Amino acid sequence: MRKMILVLLIMSVAVISFCAKEVVFWNAWGGDEGKALDSIIDRYNKSQSKVYVRSVYVPIGMGEKIMTTLSGSTTPDVITVWDWMVVPLGYRGQIVPMNDRLAKAGITSSDYIKGVWEYGTYKGKKYGLPTTLNVSAFMWNKNAFKEVGLNPDVPPKTIKELDEFTDKLNKYDKKGALKRLGFDPVISHIYCYVFGGQLWDPATNEITANHQKNIEAYEWLSSYYKKVDLQKKRIFQAGWGDLFSSLNPFLRGEIAMKEGSQWEILIAKKYGKSTFDYGISNFPAPQGGRNDVCNVSGSFWVIPTASKNQDEAFEFLTWLTADKQAAEFAAALYNIPPKIKSLEDNAFKTIVDDKMKIYIDMLMNGYVYTFPMLPIGQAYLTELTQALMDVQLGNKTAKEALDYVQERINQELKNYK
Amino acid sequence: MGLLFILPWILGLLIFTLYPVVASFILSFTRTGEGSAIKWVGLDNYITAFREPDFFRAILNTLILSLIGIPVAQIMSLVAALLLNVKMKFQGVFRTIFFLPSVVPAVATGLLWKWILNPRLGPINTFLDSIGLAGPGWLADPAWVKPSLIIMSFWGIGGTMVIYLAGLQNIPTEYYEAAKLDGAGSWACLKYITMPMLRPVTLFNTIMAIITSFQSFSNIIIMLDMDGGMKKAGLVYGLYIYTNAFRDFKMGYSSALAWILLAFTFVSVMLTYKFFNRSGDQEVS
Repeated sequence: MRKMILVLLIMSVAVISFCAKEVVFWNAWGGDEGKALDSIIDRYNKSQSKVYVRSVYVPIGMGEKIMTTLSGSTTPDVITVWDWMVVPLGYRGQIVPMNDRLAKAGITSSDYIKGVWEYGTYKGKKYGLPTTLNVSAFMWNKNAFKEVGLNPDVPPKTIKELDEFTDKLNKYDKKGALKRLGFDPVISHIYCYVFGGQLWDPATNEITANHQKNIEAYEWLSSYYKKVDLQKKRIFQAGWGDLFSSLNPFLRGEIAMKEGSQWEILIAKKYGKSTFDYGISNFPAPQGGRNDVCNVSGSFWVIPTASKNQDEAFEFLTWLTADKQAAEFAAALYNIPPKIKSLEDNAFKTIVDDKMKIYIDMLMNGYVYTFPMLPIGQAYLTELTQALMDVQLGNKTAKEALDYVQERINQELKNYK
Repeated sequence: MGLLFILPWILGLLIFTLYPVVASFILSFTRTGEGSAIKWVGLDNYITAFREPDFFRAILNTLILSLIGIPVAQIMSLVAALLLNVKMKFQGVFRTIFFLPSVVPAVATGLLWKWILNPRLGPINTFLDSIGLAGPGWLADPAWVKPSLIIMSFWGIGGTMVIYLAGLQNIPTEYYEAAKLDGAGSWACLKYITMPMLRPVTLFNTIMAIITSFQSFSNIIIMLDMDGGMKKAGLVYGLYIYTNAFRDFKMGYSSALAWILLAFTFVSVMLTYKFFNRSGDQEVS
């Protein structure tokens, strides 16, 4: 009897593996998020018998594993990558453009939130599908506002107000070491857009690092660090705990105002004290700037050129990114689904509260931008960060630093024309 | 038959060492273009390197770390070896304790030292704070990044120390006895017997230290960021190769960088040889 069961078992496995094509899927989510994704994939596997999707957890990291596997002839069929990797990999022919397949499947830009369809596209070629979206907004600690006598329900609206609030909120101990940082700008390009600048001109397909408004933004960012000694800030920062824990510096009141993504709502719920209170709004902007800037980032699903099951992989991806599944997955991640209809799906609505609504509103009605995606990967971002450091340390003026970036990246891009 | 037994090793060498070495040499003359096309660019990658400010910064940082770090680490491991060569109780235990840190993997070492050197929460600054001194910013201060890295490198002197220890035990005790009869003190013994007798060991240790120091990477990327921290003060050559390959996708350029590193290492090792030979001749004369 036992033998027979064993034989049957082996036979059924053989039959399944013979009939169903296996699609290997490198997903990048562990823990609860990974479990949520796996249960969605399980449903796909049960819903049909043509394809079996084997989901493997491979963290993206810096992409070393991905680069290695893409150089070989045996690759997974679907890979999860960071947004900035999409165009470099596509440009080098390591992942396939999806334009034709998307057109055939009837998936168009109107299915996606405005501005998201172009995300991950280079010279008209669409190399991947965004998994979920990550949106940055302005976050402030209401408790800290109360402490210094500011109205906790009114965030700064202009850059001038932001500067005033920052001065009030910065807090030092007797020895002069920082106890609380008033404002912590991290993603510096957000402020280029807030000031009315841009990093990329879609009309001419040129980078615009030294846009006049970018220079103004850089001048302001560096004036900010003239007030808070950069060195003091670094030392203070070295003591900040893990974002995904109760040692999160924002939750502990070590940062009063900052850029915050929607997943931090979940972090605050999980790890924040019950007395912790914070608000979310658009970024404050100067006169003539943009007060509705919405920075979007995230990860992508791509299909390697060397995959032998590209059609099956694409079919699976269309299912996975369909409205309902996208909504479920975004809800598990506390991210925002990239498709318009997913926003209305009940699976996503479960996580939509007043705070999440602000993010969705920014995304639907704001000035949405993503960091320009170029074949040179992170080089542009690295140079911009370095330029800001040079300005802050007084090595260069904002104009000198950004002129240098413009020249250098253009030089670099010449190799990719 | 003998060939058959050694075949797995030969195959391993050919496939996993020789092939990548040759491939990277060829890649260093290419650039990946649109599609999967690989363009032949001749010496372009090598020329580009010598125009990059970061390339020189990386070389300078690596050289500073090596020129200060290696001699100090050599002296420290020699001193440790001399101390542990003294016959006493629990000699084995002490040797093990001194050797232990070098068994810890680079990543764990990096994480550990990141905490030790944390300017706000680390034990060093907490201690300095308790006796009323303001500790430095360590890795948060561009001026302190290199000293921090050098201090951290002393953590791994165990390996060098063991080799010195073996060298010390190879020195025949008759020399010391004869010297003592002639009235030599312990300083004279160290200077005229121990040091010259250890010369081959010192040469070996120095060369190995140069090679590892030029390739240092893992604990630095753990302790600092990809750019080598503020002002790129910790941007070492290994880090520069890595970011070019895996962040900026320039495989050809980083292959070229790797070959330049090989040339540098070769020159440095030859200079070390020369230096050791000359200082040896002087002692004989």
